[in-house]
Amino acid sequence: MDVSSAALLGAGIAVLSGIGAGVGIGIVSGKTVEAIARQPEAQGKFTGIFIIGAALAESTAIYGLVVSLLLLFR
Amino acid sequence: MSEAVRETMTVSERITESIAVKTVFTIHAFGLEIAISDTVVMTWIVMAILIALSAAATRRMKMVPGRGQAALEAFVTFVYDFAEENIHHHGRKYAAFLGTVFLFLVTANVIPAFTPDGGFGFEPHFTIKPLTRDINVTAAFAAVTIVTVLVSKIRYKGVGGFFRSFVQPMPFMLPFNIMEYAIRPTSLALRLFGNMLGGYIIMLLVEAVMPLVLPPVVGLYFDFFDGLLQAVVFTYLSTVFIAEAIE
Repeated sequence: MDVSSAALLGAGIAVLSGIGAGVGIGIVSGKTVEAIARQPEAQGKFTGIFIIGAALAESTAIYGLVVSLLLLFR
Repeated sequence: MSEAVRETMTVSERITESIAVKTVFTIHAFGLEIAISDTVVMTWIVMAILIALSAAATRRMKMVPGRGQAALEAFVTFVYDFAEENIHHHGRKYAAFLGTVFLFLVTANVIPAFTPDGGFGFEPHFTIKPLTRDINVTAAFAAVTIVTVLVSKIRYKGVGGFFRSFVQPMPFMLPFNIMEYAIRPTSLALRLFGNMLGGYIIMLLVEAVMPLVLPPVVGLYFDFFDGLLQAVVFTYLSTVFIAEAIE
């Protein structure tokens, strides 16, 4: 296997980090819905925390994407 | 690029061509060659749009506001309330910074949706590419944010309090606290860059696979919603970092 095909394979493997981000965002949004169901009056506060949590969980997927882009457009 | 050349390129060549940052012109000053890329020019255009709209809305300000003035006043009030709610005491001082970042990022992320589309023999004179596809733009925003955090921490806690905060709550937290100042701007810059570039590439792929019905529908998410969401996330995280630094 030469270098360029190994890089393509690596680019594909790198975006597997999206799995973890998907699970993380799912947990964050599920727990947010639970929290809002318990205390509907505090919905505004939960939304802010939800956005932070989702952004932090998502950033791992973005790192994977950046790595795969670096491998693709070397 | 003419339509004929476009047809002969493969999809991956077209994507590589589209996301490349090109140098528009070079400034020779102080013995240096400063290359001005197309993203820098787009930054100037976005700035010009924002300044022109704000100036037009606040020209001839009245006690009973007109339509533009009322919209701008509502936005300013919203940013003031948002900053005071999240940063508490000194929130109002940071409202201008946060509002500027938010308005700029929203405009910069949504403006590519207004690019004219080619096809059927029509050749657009210009294309608007997202300027956050250049990591230098997002890295500059992250650098400004982290400098704001550092300066406000020194200003409200003093130099001693700033250095003491590195060994709080425990002395062994020192390496993690130092690392935080490198990781936070990196993740801010990479998040915005990766999201916008990823969305742009997906839009290019969708246009290559099915150029007729699908792009406007998918574009609603990737051009409008995702751009707005990433601007909100960037501003919100900046607010959280500043609030944590000065509380």
